[in-house]
Amino acid sequence: MTNDLIVQKWLNSIPEAKGILKNIQESGKQCVPKIGFPTHKEEDWKLTNLKRLSNILELNINTNKETNHQIDINNLPNPGKDYFRILLKDNGNPQDKIKFPKGIEPLTDSEIEKSIGQTLEECQCHKTWPIAINNSSINQILAFKVNENNLPGIEIIIPANSKDFNSKRILIHLEDNAELNLLEVILGSESSAQSHIIEIVMGKNSKLNHGLISLGGNKKSNLLSHIATQQKENSEYSFTFIQEGWNLSRLEPRVVQTSGNAKTNLKGLQICNNNDQIATHSFVKFNGPNGELDQLQKAIANDQSHSIFNGVIEVPQIAQQTKAAQLSRNLILSKRAQIDTKPQLEIIADDVRCSHGATISQLQEEEIFYLRSRGINNESANALLLKGFCQEILKNLPCNSTYWTANFNDLIKGSE
Amino acid sequence: MSNANTVDQIVSKPYKYGFTTDIETEKIDKGINEDIVRLISLKKKEPEFLLNFRLRAYSQWLKMKEPDWAELKYPKIDYQDIIYYAAPKQNQKKASLEEVDPKLLETFDKLGIPLSEQKRIANVAVDAVFDSVSIATTYKEKLAESGVIFCSISEAVSLYPELIKRYLGSVVPITDNFFAALNSAVFSDGSFVFIPKGVKCPMDLSSYFRINSGDTGQFERTLIIAEERASVSYLEGCTAPMFDTNTLHAAVVELIALDDATIKYSTVQNWYSGNEKGVGGIYNFVTKRGECRGKRSKISWSQVETGSAITWKYPSCILKGNGSVGEFYSIALTNNFQKADTGTKMIHVGSNSRSKIVSKGISAGNSNNSYRGLVQIGPQAENARNYSQCDSMLIGDKASANTYPYIKSNQPNSNIEHEASTCRISEDQLFYLQSRGIDFEEAVSMLVSGFCSDVFNELPLEFASEADKLLALKLEGSVG
Repeated sequence: MTNDLIVQKWLNSIPEAKGILKNIQESGKQCVPKIGFPTHKEEDWKLTNLKRLSNILELNINTNKETNHQIDINNLPNPGKDYFRILLKDNGNPQDKIKFPKGIEPLTDSEIEKSIGQTLEECQCHKTWPIAINNSSINQILAFKVNENNLPGIEIIIPANSKDFNSKRILIHLEDNAELNLLEVILGSESSAQSHIIEIVMGKNSKLNHGLISLGGNKKSNLLSHIATQQKENSEYSFTFIQEGWNLSRLEPRVVQTSGNAKTNLKGLQICNNNDQIATHSFVKFNGPNGELDQLQKAIANDQSHSIFNGVIEVPQIAQQTKAAQLSRNLILSKRAQIDTKPQLEIIADDVRCSHGATISQLQEEEIFYLRSRGINNESANALLLKGFCQEILKNLPCNSTYWTANFNDLIKGSE
Repeated sequence: MSNANTVDQIVSKPYKYGFTTDIETEKIDKGINEDIVRLISLKKKEPEFLLNFRLRAYSQWLKMKEPDWAELKYPKIDYQDIIYYAAPKQNQKKASLEEVDPKLLETFDKLGIPLSEQKRIANVAVDAVFDSVSIATTYKEKLAESGVIFCSISEAVSLYPELIKRYLGSVVPITDNFFAALNSAVFSDGSFVFIPKGVKCPMDLSSYFRINSGDTGQFERTLIIAEERASVSYLEGCTAPMFDTNTLHAAVVELIALDDATIKYSTVQNWYSGNEKGVGGIYNFVTKRGECRGKRSKISWSQVETGSAITWKYPSCILKGNGSVGEFYSIALTNNFQKADTGTKMIHVGSNSRSKIVSKGISAGNSNNSYRGLVQIGPQAENARNYSQCDSMLIGDKASANTYPYIKSNQPNSNIEHEASTCRISEDQLFYLQSRGIDFEEAVSMLVSGFCSDVFNELPLEFASEADKLLALKLEGSVG
């Protein structure tokens, strides 16, 4: 079957959405064939395993049979009193059932209708294939606004059902001066796919510490995710994201500073084992002066895995005095692993300080030697160095994330 | 800064090499088809294998699509509106320089090319290509003493067909890309260099390319072969007169280095870049590639790209031999509406191969300057190392500088480092220099040449000073 046929069949099999999602679904369904299935001729998809991508479309869509989650979702650890947990597992409108803490209010239908897709458009990705796929299949939307600071953190857990295509949308509006800690946990399950899009609008002086842990669970699970954020003046956005254990994972953090003068921190970590293909495509644009970006992207590639990083930074003429630094550090631990990294700077403003760097190597022999000379065996020395490599990213996650990252030490194998 | 006037004055400085030489030329009809390809081959009295090579390339070209991924946004080129062959009229290749049309010699004199005998002291052998045909090659005898072959490629075809047959198209095959296929079908002339085993070429070799007619495309082909333990340094210079039409220049350069051989290839490219409104200028779409076939062989590219309306080229190294070395040093300067999309590819195949990339981009005016490069470490390239550095300098707030480094690794026992930065000439630096009594313009050119010094150090001596002056001339006053 050609990809076009697969897509058509997939579109026909989507269960019909209700309420406000109906219009979005309709426009998404029209968009999908117009954009067409990605090909290797497109720069953005050149390295993607398209076979795996088309396999996603063979899955059932949002059947919501509660079977075989990767973890026991009814028995999650207590998030603690500082965190408010939202479990996105059922169909239907989750907002009806959630009683948000004070300072956080659900968005009304008309607010959702007005703002959905708007941040994606601002971030120049509203006409891409993963967005169209999400639009045409979403059956659940979580949307809230944050008015205050000093609130409990929000923890959103998004499990997948096995053999299921699971598509979700989250909208978050931070009003002026609001502050929030947000941790998202996206879980894979046996032969599943997650289509996850979050749109964040940050008001003036607002602050968001956003963590995203995506664990595929090494079970042929797939993830397509966009994290689109628009930042007003003096806002500060810190986004830390982990990708691990996915058959195919494509995470696209996209940030636009709508009038500059804001701070953005992006910290990403990919842990690639087996024959995972894990990709990060980031995009940061400064639409005003005095913006700041600090980006650090790390990857460990083991076995036959393939790690991809593509980091675009756009500094148009208006964005004078921008300071942007991007660093991509990669460890390749196996002869059959592959790493592709491509920083991409597009600069027009002249009074800016922008730099980027990239390294690919194995662990440094001198470092291993140093540890071994202190009586630590080879295996532990490797593990220790890898742990340190990851820790630089992990330490930026919101504080209640340790439960999810605790078993990382086992996942990170030493070099061969 | 209050130097807006100076900007206008200097930017409008005329292009020094923009004259045309009024000389009788022999042109064939516009357009390309199989008959034209056959006609070019016939005019050059080529053997059959070369005609077949051209015809294969032509049929390949017909099947290919013009690439557009670089988003250079130039108007569509009408390939039927180009003259593919133009030669200054002369009956035979002259035996000595005295017999060459004095007007031609005058042209090269104006360009400062040391063609005439009295300039022998310069100790550089020159092959000059005018429109499509090689005019004269100096120092042939002296080179022949040490066994070095340096001649036009047409001459090489008739004198050394075996070498041509063996090496032509072996680094850049006719199927490589759209412009390489076109070049393979219609290439007119170019230089051929062959350095036999163990010979260190006694002097620098140089070729000089000039486009004279406005409607002629220039498609030259350069082939350099260095056998075991041989070494050579080769320089290339380019200019063209001013026309308000765009002229296509699609050259192919192939370098082959066998065991322990070294080839250094330097380019100072100053094709006409169009006027300040972006009208006219050369499209410089060139395929340059070197193959380090032998163990411990080395290929080094250095380039100073200041001209052309659009420069689109990636001089590359395929590091096949174990322990081979590839280097790329580049300065790309764009002003007004120029566009440059240049960089390199370092393909590591052999073990212990090393590569180094130093690229300096300077963009002023409304220009667009991109570095695009690939570093690829294959699964066999154990202990391969790469270091890349690409710095951009922006002058004025309408110019853009982009970097697209592609980095690919399949080998855990390898090291890749890449760094890049963007800056501008700061007012503090200018103020400091001006407070020491250095005038504004000189201060700017000092800072620019300091920014580029890493690359200047790699250029052959006489090129380095020429390039430095060229940059100063092109840039002076564009800071404001």
